[in-house]
Amino acid sequence: MRIAFLFFVLAASVYYTYVAFADLSFLTRTGRLGPGFFPRLVGGSMVAFTIWALADALRERREPENDAGTWGDVLALMALGLGYTVLLRLIGGFPATVIYLGLSLLIINPGRHLQNAILTVAIPTVIFLLFDRLLNASMPPALLNLPF
Amino acid sequence: MDIFSDLMMGLSIAITPVNMLYLLAGAMVGMVVGVIPGFGPSAGLAILLPITFGMDPVPAIMMLAAIYYGAMYGGTITSILLNTPGESATVASTFDGFPLAKNGRAGPALVMQAVASFVGGTVGVVLITILAPMFAQVSRSFGPPEYFLLAIMGLLTLIVMIGEHWKLGLISALIGLALGTVGVDLETGQGRYTFGSAELIGGIYFIPIAIGLFGVGELFYAFYQSMHKTGTGGIVNYDKEERFWPTRLDFISTRMTMVRHSILGFVVGVIPGAGATIASLMAYSTERSLSKNKENFGKGEMAGLVAPETANNAASSGAMIPLLTLGIPGSASTAVLLAAFLMWGLRPGPLFMEQNPELAWGLIASMYLGNVMLLAINIFAIPLFVQLIKVPYRILGPTIVVICTLGTFSVNASFIETYIMFGAGIIGFFMRLYGFSPAALVLALVLGPLAEEALRQTMTISRGSFIIFVERPASLWIIGVTILLLAILPLMNHFGKRASEAEKSGT
Repeated sequence: MRIAFLFFVLAASVYYTYVAFADLSFLTRTGRLGPGFFPRLVGGSMVAFTIWALADALRERREPENDAGTWGDVLALMALGLGYTVLLRLIGGFPATVIYLGLSLLIINPGRHLQNAILTVAIPTVIFLLFDRLLNASMPPALLNLPF
Repeated sequence: MDIFSDLMMGLSIAITPVNMLYLLAGAMVGMVVGVIPGFGPSAGLAILLPITFGMDPVPAIMMLAAIYYGAMYGGTITSILLNTPGESATVASTFDGFPLAKNGRAGPALVMQAVASFVGGTVGVVLITILAPMFAQVSRSFGPPEYFLLAIMGLLTLIVMIGEHWKLGLISALIGLALGTVGVDLETGQGRYTFGSAELIGGIYFIPIAIGLFGVGELFYAFYQSMHKTGTGGIVNYDKEERFWPTRLDFISTRMTMVRHSILGFVVGVIPGAGATIASLMAYSTERSLSKNKENFGKGEMAGLVAPETANNAASSGAMIPLLTLGIPGSASTAVLLAAFLMWGLRPGPLFMEQNPELAWGLIASMYLGNVMLLAINIFAIPLFVQLIKVPYRILGPTIVVICTLGTFSVNASFIETYIMFGAGIIGFFMRLYGFSPAALVLALVLGPLAEEALRQTMTISRGSFIIFVERPASLWIIGVTILLLAILPLMNHFGKRASEAEKSGT
């Protein structure tokens, strides 16, 4: 997985450097350093060091990776989080938060139905009183018209 | 005399009821952030930064600073009662803090850590009061070459402190520098990496990245480590002990410990990249070397708790010096604080204290008051924080995701920024998992545009010659200090790690 992540960083670095060389000029018309100077420096270094780190990682590949974490819950939390950001756009802040919390607690706090139900309503209420009423912060509006 | 009158002016600003209320709120929130394992001041500051947008700059900065140094106080409660540091700067406090609690001295340990934190924090603020104007005076002669070198120094020292994974730290910093180049080039007006998106013209906003990396990313990592499955069953019951308050001997035996580690912590804190974690580990190691009771260290020695606690609080004060006088943050937390300053159109640097005396001295004065508040909160509100420790991570986790998401949205009412925040959270998790440094990324994201601007100005001044960096005395000094730090910091790092390893192996 570490090697895959390094390949991802390398691909992003190569693309960043390509754009720096292809689209951004090194000097301005007046002969000063242009918008491409710094990105070329950063991109070139990023590619070089990522290749170095990747070579190290490939050399150490034979050693067993210490990968004993809880992937299931992390992936579930990531998926729920991404779903939450989409729901926010569609149905607005409060309903999306209630749905997100309800589902999250159902998965990572199973079996405690009453506690989960209370928290699912109480936490969004407190957060919205804090953000919307007390701090007057802008809350996500709904794209779809809901009856509530 | 000038300093005294400036400080009095700052006190008159800080002591208004509204500002005191915000200061108290900041201190409490800082304690809460410190108490939650896996969340440090960087995460707390990043998550709560959007909340301060509707406020005036003075109370907002005072509150954010209180969150920053308040987290140092809070992190130790879990170190003592649960043997789990609230954040990395309180790791050394577990070495003797938890054994003290197991020996039936949790109450005295909690009070002594509060007193040590107060002494470290207050000595740190006294030193800021004296030294910050001097630093500002010296840095007035700095021009673009010096600012470029300072930005590079800040990044290099942080990378050196990463240790064996320095290559990954450097890549993290380069990613931060790359993200900092997104947006319109201010000199030529040419778009860079905007891909035609209007949302990216102004660049990648710092706050979603910081909230994603430190808030959501750290949360994913905590879940990966199964922190949501471990309960708080091991928490020590301090309220059943015979004696809550420390003895006179506790105070007498540790008074010199507090003095020496306040100064050590402050000096380490001023060095960019070193920070409170290294300060606390160094303090523990030094105290053990100097102590007549070496054999008691690790078994519940009060000086072993007081030393790191004093040092980490003094270091958090010390880190404010380069931020206020040079505008160069030395850590991820102070980078978030710098972002807060910039958000209000304030540019910390040599002229900051002269041009914004109310804000600068109001902030410094508030740190005196904040430390007094934190001392009181730390001692009298312990039951409250113990209750907070008992809230399971599986409930805290989704709540934190909600606060991070809504906090990010509330900044610019932008859905794109919530997606960027989540993307940063996922990348932050993998960075944390595979040894990269989210702190280096965030620091580089803040310092990158400053460094680029300074470098391009320098090259314009010198007509493209790099010789300018060795022609100016101030630049030469900075190069000299950087080389010295690059030589010394790995030794400091090694010293701190050795203390930590020795403690773990029980030798």
